Amino acid sequence: MKKSFAVFLKRNLAFAKLAIVSNLEYRLNYFVDAIVQPLLTTGIEVLLWFAVFQGAHTTTINGFGREYYLSYALWGAFFARIATSWMYEFRMIEEISSGSINSLIVRPMSFYEYYLSQLLGYKFITTIISMFVPVIAAWIFDLPTIYSRIPLAIVLCFYYLILVHTISFIVSSIAFHLTKISSFTVAKNLLLWILTGELFPLDLIPDPFKKIIITLPFSSGVFLPVGYITNRVTHAEFMQGFVSVTIGLVLLNFLGAVLWKKGLSSYTGTGA
Amino acid sequence: MKIMHTLKKYFSLYLAMFKASFISDLEYRANFFTRILTDVFWYVAQVTTFEVLYHHTEKIGDWDKYQMRVFLGLLFVIDALYMIFIHENLENLSEKVRKGDLDLLLAKPVNSQFMITLQKANTALIGNLLLGGGWLIYSLHSLGDFHFARLFWLILLIPCSLVVIYSMRFIFSASAVIFTRSENLQFLWWQVYRIGMRPDSMYFPWFKWIILTVVPVGVIVSLPARALLNPPEFFYIAWPVILVPILLYLTNRFWNFALKFYSSASS
Repeated sequence: MKKSFAVFLKRNLAFAKLAIVSNLEYRLNYFVDAIVQPLLTTGIEVLLWFAVFQGAHTTTINGFGREYYLSYALWGAFFARIATSWMYEFRMIEEISSGSINSLIVRPMSFYEYYLSQLLGYKFITTIISMFVPVIAAWIFDLPTIYSRIPLAIVLCFYYLILVHTISFIVSSIAFHLTKISSFTVAKNLLLWILTGELFPLDLIPDPFKKIIITLPFSSGVFLPVGYITNRVTHAEFMQGFVSVTIGLVLLNFLGAVLWKKGLSSYTGTGA
Repeated sequence: MKIMHTLKKYFSLYLAMFKASFISDLEYRANFFTRILTDVFWYVAQVTTFEVLYHHTEKIGDWDKYQMRVFLGLLFVIDALYMIFIHENLENLSEKVRKGDLDLLLAKPVNSQFMITLQKANTALIGNLLLGGGWLIYSLHSLGDFHFARLFWLILLIPCSLVVIYSMRFIFSASAVIFTRSENLQFLWWQVYRIGMRPDSMYFPWFKWIILTVVPVGVIVSLPARALLNPPEFFYIAWPVILVPILLYLTNRFWNFALKFYSSASS
């Protein structure tokens, strides 16, 4: 049992390393992905919040001052980079649609773990490289940030990432039955764009929608970790995120397993 | 006479490509609906953001909720037109460079930039255009005191907006010829485009100047929206018209420059 776990761990570490190496191969591409994009997003959101406060003629919105919103915009952009999966989901779909999955399903590993480890490896290196920016910016501009809460916030975001991967697994399983499904990825990510709190802090939504949306596991991607760091949410509310993600993982993994099994049984590898 | 003949040739070529795209899109009927659904989520994201913000403030920049709805309606219409005619072509350019498919286009006896820009139309997105148009009409109607004669400005300004989006996107896409793998530069375009998805009035004056001139994403929606919502101002109408030939010239120069770096990838 111990030995098989060690093999499992070693194999998955190798997948994660593979993702790190292959992403760092094209450095300009990676630099844009990890640093430039979230910086631009932050810039756009910061300008929006300046305009909102100017129009509101008030010092606080929903009980928080402008600095809290600027801090949210800063951290939100970087957590959103971690919590979103485009590239690997497209690859998973492509793998199934093109039939190149044949070479993966004959190996002694699962398709799910192969891509999960790669996704986690890629996000791990992205976190290390990109997190310097919000930390330094928050320090220079003295934005409300509780630095001691950052590690736990990152843990929740990575836990949520497993849920994101499970959704990618479900979407890619549909590729066994339908040929063109990349727009599913776009639709799903746009929906998550709203539900994670990347666009605006979820506590600005009027009740009762606010409560429902925050209770969903998707708020663990951006709103809860960023809210925790910027002191918008309490420790108890933040910990609730782990519970909702766990429930989401159980339900979606079950659905994923069923769809995958169904998809594999209808799949014919051509061996091209 | 020769120009007319060339224009006629390119027009009939485009019609043939559009027809071929339509037939190919009909092959994947489910895709028609998923593409519409995708954009519905995008529209919902945009509308929700501003509706939630206006729940806490009366004005953003110098526009109220009703004016912002018109701005979003115009954004949806212009974006849908861009997506139908141009987007897919430029989106796939990076892939064409990597796989060597660009060779096939370069070898054809027509302008390569024309082929790269307009070879494929995404006719599935005509539904999105209808949705966006519907939202625009609804938002104009809810304004109350809107002068519908101002809609004529759109005949001039929407094509200008399309050329501005096209030119900027083209420069990002054509960079794939130089860097080979530049997917994230394409994502970077999305971030730049996002700046133009917000009204120019919400930005600081120096930044507003930049997005109206140097990186003219502010021209795409903000200026047509101003033409609809405010009495016409000469600068806001004339500037997009002046910008169009300048940008088209620059894209052509950039394309020729980028091609110098191209080494065929096909075997």
